[in-house]
Amino acid sequence: MANDAVLIIGGGPAGLEAARGVAGLGARAILVERRNNLGGAPINERYAALTHGFRDAEEVMNEIIAEVTSEALIDVRLGYSVAAVAGSAGDFTVTLAKEGNGHSDVVNVGAIIVATGFQHFDPGRETQMYGYYEFDDVITLQDSERMLKDRNWVRPSNGESPKRVCFIQCVGSRDRHIGNEYCSKVCCGIASKQAIEIRQQVPDCRVFIFYIDMRMYGYWENEIYWPAQEKYKVQYVKGIVTEILKKGDKLLVRGEDTTMGRPVEVTMDVVVLSNGMEPSAGTKEMARVLGLKQNKYGFIEVPHDALNPTATSVPGIFVSGAAAGPRDLDDSVGTGGAAAMKAVSLARKLARGDLQLANASR
Amino acid sequence: MPVKGVKQAPIVVEKDSVTVRGIELKGQWNRMFEPRVIDDYDLTHLDRVAALSGGESIEFCYQCGKCVPVCPVDVVGNYGPRKIVRKLQLGVDLTEDADLWLCTTCMNCLRVCPKEVDMIKIMPAVREQAILDGKFVPPELQKTFENIARYGNPQGESPRKRADWAKEAGVPVPIMASVKRPVDVLLYVGSYPSYHPRGKDAARAMARVLTALGVDFAILGHEEKEDGDSVRLAGEKGLYETLADSTIKTLAKYRFNRIVVFGPHEYNAFKNVYPKFAAENGLAWDYAILHYTQFLAERLDQLTPLLKKPIEITTTFHDPCYLGRHNGEYDAPRRLLAAIPGVTLVEMGRSRENGYCCGGGGGGMWLDSFAGGHQKMRLSERRVQEAVEYGASLLSVCCPYEVSRFEDGVKSTGNDGKLIVRDIIEMIDEAMRAE
Repeated sequence: MANDAVLIIGGGPAGLEAARGVAGLGARAILVERRNNLGGAPINERYAALTHGFRDAEEVMNEIIAEVTSEALIDVRLGYSVAAVAGSAGDFTVTLAKEGNGHSDVVNVGAIIVATGFQHFDPGRETQMYGYYEFDDVITLQDSERMLKDRNWVRPSNGESPKRVCFIQCVGSRDRHIGNEYCSKVCCGIASKQAIEIRQQVPDCRVFIFYIDMRMYGYWENEIYWPAQEKYKVQYVKGIVTEILKKGDKLLVRGEDTTMGRPVEVTMDVVVLSNGMEPSAGTKEMARVLGLKQNKYGFIEVPHDALNPTATSVPGIFVSGAAAGPRDLDDSVGTGGAAAMKAVSLARKLARGDLQLANASR
Repeated sequence: MPVKGVKQAPIVVEKDSVTVRGIELKGQWNRMFEPRVIDDYDLTHLDRVAALSGGESIEFCYQCGKCVPVCPVDVVGNYGPRKIVRKLQLGVDLTEDADLWLCTTCMNCLRVCPKEVDMIKIMPAVREQAILDGKFVPPELQKTFENIARYGNPQGESPRKRADWAKEAGVPVPIMASVKRPVDVLLYVGSYPSYHPRGKDAARAMARVLTALGVDFAILGHEEKEDGDSVRLAGEKGLYETLADSTIKTLAKYRFNRIVVFGPHEYNAFKNVYPKFAAENGLAWDYAILHYTQFLAERLDQLTPLLKKPIEITTTFHDPCYLGRHNGEYDAPRRLLAAIPGVTLVEMGRSRENGYCCGGGGGGMWLDSFAGGHQKMRLSERRVQEAVEYGASLLSVCCPYEVSRFEDGVKSTGNDGKLIVRDIIEMIDEAMRAE
């Protein structure tokens, strides 16, 4: 009994956009979210302004959530996870388990979209000596987002306003030792965005960014990087920090200023580690449950085809957002919409019995 | 070192500081002459430069390094716009740093800079601040400022002698104050053609060429003063404004159709800088300005038949920074050279938009001794070597700063007899002398 209903796993930006897309095409969407709220990382991690565009993350996400929850064609299942799947493209039988109480539910859908996203790299795993768990004033991008959102960007150790802050780029990315050889794509932009926000909220605090390469593709260059430098006077220093030591009540940042070819030993009040992206626990688990191939980093593998970015190794199952690898919001939402279109069109072709067409449109 | 067959550990005495012949030495200097570790990014001086009017773009630099390979000063030393930005970021006070006086404002960095970091505005602004703050100003530059302020020319010559060159021109050179009627061309001679021996050769050649073409021209004579553009770029804004004010008012007394200038620096001043100054000060400034190569190139139909004597020589042409990069004129001088019979032009590697700098711009003309202390060789010497490398026997120029600079360079690089230096106007004058 083929149908064009689509199961979407994950209620973050990519999943929300996929649900909107499916409903917009007139098909039924079942949006499953393990947590008890929608919104994904921007809400759960309490982001301040979005990269790019600088709109308030909570405000924007709430607008999208309101649209999804008021849409009759979308069945939102909060607190559910996907326990099992059977069948094939056009006719999947999926068991949804309610977290905690053992209740389960079986649904029948024509296609599945995985939108289980990423998690921030845990700097406890980094191979330099940044001492994230050792020093209160060494924080991550998401710690910094929370302070920016609360408009209380201070030194965590003593609650004082900082005078000197630096970001260290590529923490947990581009690193063979750690195993994450890829660039996480967004950290240069987010660090620069946060540097601007810090300068806005704490004007007498100087902000430095230690980097290997600044990767500010497209409009991030003129919308974030250049204003950070030209208007907000953020200081970019090429050369990455090797280690952080305690010096009095400050942090001694040691590295090389590569364009000067000289060692650096400067003190900072707060160090922000620009930690990258890794596959979320949900992404890894769904890959296992759904039988999807993962790449060597644990992200869901997209068969190598630049022109088909939402395909997976299993026909009828699509991937969107950062479950497939490091992605910014634009790409996450974009692939959410693309996956919706692919999923509904495949399910409908199969429902019509047009298998040849269905195969061609995988 | 073993002593009596037993290995002895070396005795190392390291003191924090010691006084040698009355000079106190820090212990760390025993190992290296500057502290190696960067222990602070003191942004005081970077902020200060960025706060200056004209200094804003210093912070635009993202250290791509494009400027360094094209910087003529880096070719002969260790310098480069992006390096200056880094020094500022490291807490160096540019108003006290030798780098401040090495920039020739040649504009090759700005030409290639993706962020438009404008050293042509930054350097003069910081130099002005250094002067206002009473910081070190190279004495030779200070002396030049004084000469110009007192005598109206950098050489410190008598203003009364400004038109003396004309006596030996062999043709009448009318003075505006005496002709008492409108003329077609006001020839603005400039200080080097007025006073420097080799400059005077070119000035006389100019008078003869204009006369041969039947041009109705006159000069200002002793009313003429240094235009002040290089003074401005060297940081003496007050003196520049005095000179601009004086020149604008002098010219306002007379009627003429156009101003023809000898020097690219005057050309830049009159075309790009004076209009703004005049507008801000309620003065009139609306003149057609032509560099002499442009004026003559417009008259090639008339000029070419007069060039009867072949000059059989291989020449190369040095683009003046302030005619080429600053004002986009690359063709007029080349068209004149092409019109001279016998002349073969070979282009140097660094030519046109990427032309090398003679070292004279932005006050460099008056900083040779100082700059020499920070460079392996002079920029003019490097340029002479390049001309020789490209097989030229004659280095042709059209900026009055250059003849003397390059002739000195020919001697100091041992190229006497291999390369001669001529202003294009001298070559035209010579080609007119049918034997």
